Amino acid sequence: MRYVLAVVAGVIALAGASAQAEIRLGVLYPIAGTGAVYGVPAMFGHDLAVDEINAAGGVNGQPLATFKRDTKLKPAAAAAAAKELITKDGVNVLIGGLSSAVGLAISEVARQEKVVYIATIPKTIQMTTTKLHDHVFRTASHTDFEGDAMARIVAQLGIEKLCDIQLDYAYGHDLGAGIVRGLARHAPDVDLVIELRPKLGATDYNAFISQILGAGCDGITSGLWGSHFVNFAQQAKPFGLFEQAKYISGGEIASHEIAGKMAEDYPDNVWSNTYELWYDHFDPSHVEFQKAVAEKAGTNETAMWPVLAYIGVKFYAAAATKAGSIESDAVAEALKGLSIDTPVGPRTINPEDHQADTGQFWGPMVKKEGVPYRMMDPITYIPAKIAE
Amino acid sequence: MESVRVMPRPVAAVCAVVVLALLVVPLLDSRYLIDLFTEIMIYALFALSLNVLIGYSGNVSFGHAAYFAIGGYTCAILLTTYEWGFAPAFAAAVIASALAAGLVAWFCVRLTDIYFAMLTLAFAMVVWGVAFKWRSVTGGDDGFVGVSVPAMLDSRIGFYYFTLAATGLSAAVLWLICHSAFGRCLVAVRENRIRAGFVGINTRLMRWWAFVVAGTFAGVAGAIFGMFHRGMYIESAFWTESATVLIMTLLGGIYSFFGPAIGAATLFVLERLTNEYTEYWPIVLGMILVGILLFLPDGLAGLARKLASYRSRGG
Repeated sequence: MRYVLAVVAGVIALAGASAQAEIRLGVLYPIAGTGAVYGVPAMFGHDLAVDEINAAGGVNGQPLATFKRDTKLKPAAAAAAAKELITKDGVNVLIGGLSSAVGLAISEVARQEKVVYIATIPKTIQMTTTKLHDHVFRTASHTDFEGDAMARIVAQLGIEKLCDIQLDYAYGHDLGAGIVRGLARHAPDVDLVIELRPKLGATDYNAFISQILGAGCDGITSGLWGSHFVNFAQQAKPFGLFEQAKYISGGEIASHEIAGKMAEDYPDNVWSNTYELWYDHFDPSHVEFQKAVAEKAGTNETAMWPVLAYIGVKFYAAAATKAGSIESDAVAEALKGLSIDTPVGPRTINPEDHQADTGQFWGPMVKKEGVPYRMMDPITYIPAKIAE
Repeated sequence: MESVRVMPRPVAAVCAVVVLALLVVPLLDSRYLIDLFTEIMIYALFALSLNVLIGYSGNVSFGHAAYFAIGGYTCAILLTTYEWGFAPAFAAAVIASALAAGLVAWFCVRLTDIYFAMLTLAFAMVVWGVAFKWRSVTGGDDGFVGVSVPAMLDSRIGFYYFTLAATGLSAAVLWLICHSAFGRCLVAVRENRIRAGFVGINTRLMRWWAFVVAGTFAGVAGAIFGMFHRGMYIESAFWTESATVLIMTLLGGIYSFFGPAIGAATLFVLERLTNEYTEYWPIVLGMILVGILLFLPDGLAGLARKLASYRSRGG
């Protein structure tokens, strides 16, 4: 047994020792099962960034190598995978995460192992407030920015009676709280009539729809994302819900993957957000970026997830270059206050709370002549600022 | 049937070698191996505890993860939220698991077979529901992240030896329990409940105790797990976790004391290795399960026994 262990350890040591001339990125996305619809496109963006950086000679002369693991959308699995990436593959940084719970679990491993973690998708506010530590940084937006933007739109549209419907888990709770804080700033006179909390993964919304109809709201705020929104909209449309009330939604249901998937079924009067739109070249560099993603994805009408993963890698590379090192503390120090240009505009990480000023594109989803799906028009970029 | 409390010599020799090997793991200076073996030991104890119920008393539980989770959450919450010391928090976690198991068992032992199994599942889902809904205490599905672990367990190697001591001691106690008169009674209940009743064994009480012992040691494993990961997540209480430990137990062999530990180690290492190459671990797991049910009804331990007797007969 001792002999076997020694051999095992020897093999692992050899594997670890070979080619540490590369910089190892530990990447964590859900790449099979229900989360794969987000994780797979995210990997396109990740690979694109790595290819670009390596083609330009790597970081400090060292090429980037990707070690990816499936998080299965489960925090315990993600934590175990993150730990293994660090202890076995010897990765220099953790990048990725999808879902708030998974993000918090990876962040905890990063804290323990003192390895930098760049959260590219998780939005829970806890990550950069109560659970903040030296080695966690976020390039995604967060629920307070999102809630604030939604409250501004509520004010703009002149809504009087508001219904709020959020999924009953971290993201939903945090976004609900973010909206309430935003309303106090932007629309203090709005009457928040009911707050509904369907379960994560719910498919039947009939009970909630009749409650909203009964409450007589002229506006709805929501964070039902992905298939939750698809189901909700299909069930609510026959009741005329979207004629009665304006639907203001976080959760990126303005992204093309939702608009394209729902096509004709996408309801009227929806204002929502997205990190990126393939048809909007907000920044000139977006043209090239979008073309490259389209090539990888095999379609011109690309999803918004690649840009998030792409930005995460770019931030790491910029920080390691600035630090002249891949040592975790040096990279963490370099990330504080770091600014980079991205395909969706410049981004800066706040040195205090380690949060990037990631704004989002907001607007109504409208029908266009000769286009089978809805598009956002007009597109407004709402910067990441809690505006007074 | 001669030795009741004393381990047969070959078994004792293998145990000694395994413990010695585990003692030197940290000397290999690999963080990966230390973490890997820490987690294997935790799951081995978890599977051994379940086997008291399945292998010895013949009651299949589909809800064993509940007691693992109760131990884990209680220890994590007491250490972190209430800032208890390590010893009281750990002890309280084990007691909480024991009490929960005692309460659930009180209902479950009134039923047998599939009804028993379904009721254990139902109670486990109640535990899961509480962990999910009681956000202010358990963190809901964000998980309870950031467990404060006492300084002495802060280092990787320190924690490894703590896990080795705790799981080793627990396994020894389980061995004694299973090979005492009580353990013999459980086997009698398993083999023929009615006959056991007629010779004077209070079968319901025996099954109650088996349930409590199983739940208690699952709680020990859970408490260590929570500290190791510095977090507890609701999936640890979900039925899939109960199924995983059940498969570990079956894979190792339910008619052998150490079988489940071997099954736990095998399944855990297989999962880790599979995850490096493919995302489709559940397919591999499914095939393993089919393999056990069709070809290895007595698990790996049964296979080893068969091979040994084949060789002694051949030689």
